[in-house]
Amino acid sequence: MPGLPPSVDLDECISRLYKKELLAESVIEAICAKTKELLMRESNVVHVRAPVTVVGDIHGQFYDLIEIFRIGGYCPDTNYLFLGDYVDRGMFSVETISLLVCLKLRYPNRVHLIRGNHESRGVTQSYGFYTECSRKYGNANVWHYFTDMFDFLTLSVVINDQIFCVHGGLSPSIHSIDQIKVIDRFREIPHEGPMADLVWSDPDPDRDEFSLSPRGAGYTFGAQVVKKFLAVNNMNHILRAHQLCQEGYQVLYDDRLSTVWSAPNYCYRCGNMASVLEVSDTGERFFNVFAAAPENDAVKDQQMNQDKSAEGGALPDYFL
Amino acid sequence: MTSVKINHISSLNEPYPSPSALEAATTTHVQGAFVIATRKLPILKSGPIDAMSVRLGIPIPEMIFGDNLVSITHRPTGWSIEFNAEDALERVDKTGEKMLQVAYAGEWSSSREKTSAGISEVVKPFDWSYTTDYCGTERPGSTGGAEGKETKLHGDENTPDIPIELLKRRDPILFADEVVLYESELDDNGCSIVSVKLRVMEHRMLLLCRMFMRLDNVLVRVRDTRVYVDFDKEEVIREYTEREDKFENVKTKLFMQGLKLDQVTIALRDANQVAPLLPLIKQGVESVILGPGVATKTTTTTTTTRFPGQTQLTPQTQFVRPPPR
Repeated sequence: MPGLPPSVDLDECISRLYKKELLAESVIEAICAKTKELLMRESNVVHVRAPVTVVGDIHGQFYDLIEIFRIGGYCPDTNYLFLGDYVDRGMFSVETISLLVCLKLRYPNRVHLIRGNHESRGVTQSYGFYTECSRKYGNANVWHYFTDMFDFLTLSVVINDQIFCVHGGLSPSIHSIDQIKVIDRFREIPHEGPMADLVWSDPDPDRDEFSLSPRGAGYTFGAQVVKKFLAVNNMNHILRAHQLCQEGYQVLYDDRLSTVWSAPNYCYRCGNMASVLEVSDTGERFFNVFAAAPENDAVKDQQMNQDKSAEGGALPDYFL
Repeated sequence: MTSVKINHISSLNEPYPSPSALEAATTTHVQGAFVIATRKLPILKSGPIDAMSVRLGIPIPEMIFGDNLVSITHRPTGWSIEFNAEDALERVDKTGEKMLQVAYAGEWSSSREKTSAGISEVVKPFDWSYTTDYCGTERPGSTGGAEGKETKLHGDENTPDIPIELLKRRDPILFADEVVLYESELDDNGCSIVSVKLRVMEHRMLLLCRMFMRLDNVLVRVRDTRVYVDFDKEEVIREYTEREDKFENVKTKLFMQGLKLDQVTIALRDANQVAPLLPLIKQGVESVILGPGVATKTTTTTTTTRFPGQTQLTPQTQFVRPPPR
């Protein structure tokens, strides 16, 4: 496997990214190409050993990602599994995904990245990542490099052969994890089928089986589905992200499924808490709950400043 | 190791910030005979969400600001209008009659028939776009005394319009706020948001409660409730409008304004840019005079009998103007 161009020093990239500096377009291109080669060799179901800290949706909230490292430990001292939805909505999707990709390249066996429903061309065009790339780089090239790389992200991880980790949830087409292994995942996330279900579906604690979403597409899965899946695959827990929870996490189905949410004060206005899930070497689970990083206050000021006039005074909104 | 500030919460009993401090989170402004209040708190926790879901009979939008509030109260009569999330969601269709489908639903269900037959049940059908015709929760006032008359909003052919020209004046704003009631990303198929903003000037104020719903590649809707208060006349005018158009038409109009693809994408997220492009499909207006003139203005009070028992405006009971051509 050819290495990175000699001009690209990963450690230097990482230390710049920790300071929230952008990498050059050509560097992103090289890093994404390299990451693709690395991800291509990963199975659709990656097996890892605990201890590992599992992180849910981040959505471009860069300061809160740094907060996670402060609380949970930096790479490579702590092993990390990220459950997807790195981009869109927050103000620093580019910095967030750049840092995560560099960490993955630098510590491939200590950092794992799962694909979320936002790691897609379609969704990122509507929800901010495309716009942010175009604004920060003056063109959409970087967006193309990243979204081409997204097609290679794995779909699921199993911790200690016991905990099944995925972004969204289960699929009616998948009973055994062997059925995940045969999915052709190197593509844009389709609208339907098992690959779509894994990144999109939600639990419905009021139901036993799979149900159709009223939206006309997508499933929810109930208690019996979870029980059956765990029994068939000889596991004891499902760990997923994808849904906002005010407390930062939610545990359902008699402790058979957890949702972990890692974007505190989501969209800089929800006021919710966030968590990361620490799985110990013996498989015990601990939710480490945290609030928004103090640096976000500067973001708030920045947003308010955009509404201010050149003289610095607040420009009142004379809406009609 | 003390140099690193860790913003870490170790107990769930350490909320952020405390939702019990409703009072502390409320800002009030007094202008003439009116008190204007706004309250902003974090989204609800799972317990209150479940309770609200049971009360309403539908799943709750993921960003539910159930403790948020905007209210305008006329102190002498006790008349008030309040905007809150639960009352707004109460007016979402819960029958599935007005249910929309995402753009790729056809493609999705036809391919699904082959792979996972047997799952045909849509549980709890409801209008998951969270479209509401909510225009505030009104509490009628009383003129007091033995023959105290009930005062509330009503509409007829004499109901005045909101004086837009007066609102275009750049009078100093004494109090302004914006409060979100709920927001859903419709599972990344668009967005649905209800928010309330207001600005108070010396002689008048304007409140705008706007529902903006964009279902990607299907539909764009804006439903606006404007509440205008004239502090001198102690008069309140409420106007409700519905605008909507197909997604494709809105996109075409944005392109025709000379916007590039990137700008169109951004514009489609911004209700302020989209609303003026949407055709008006429904409009109604109501008013009430709460000031001292109310007792002598018998015509005002008698007309209320035409709208008996109506504390919440529904489009049917408004005086509906024909949409402008």
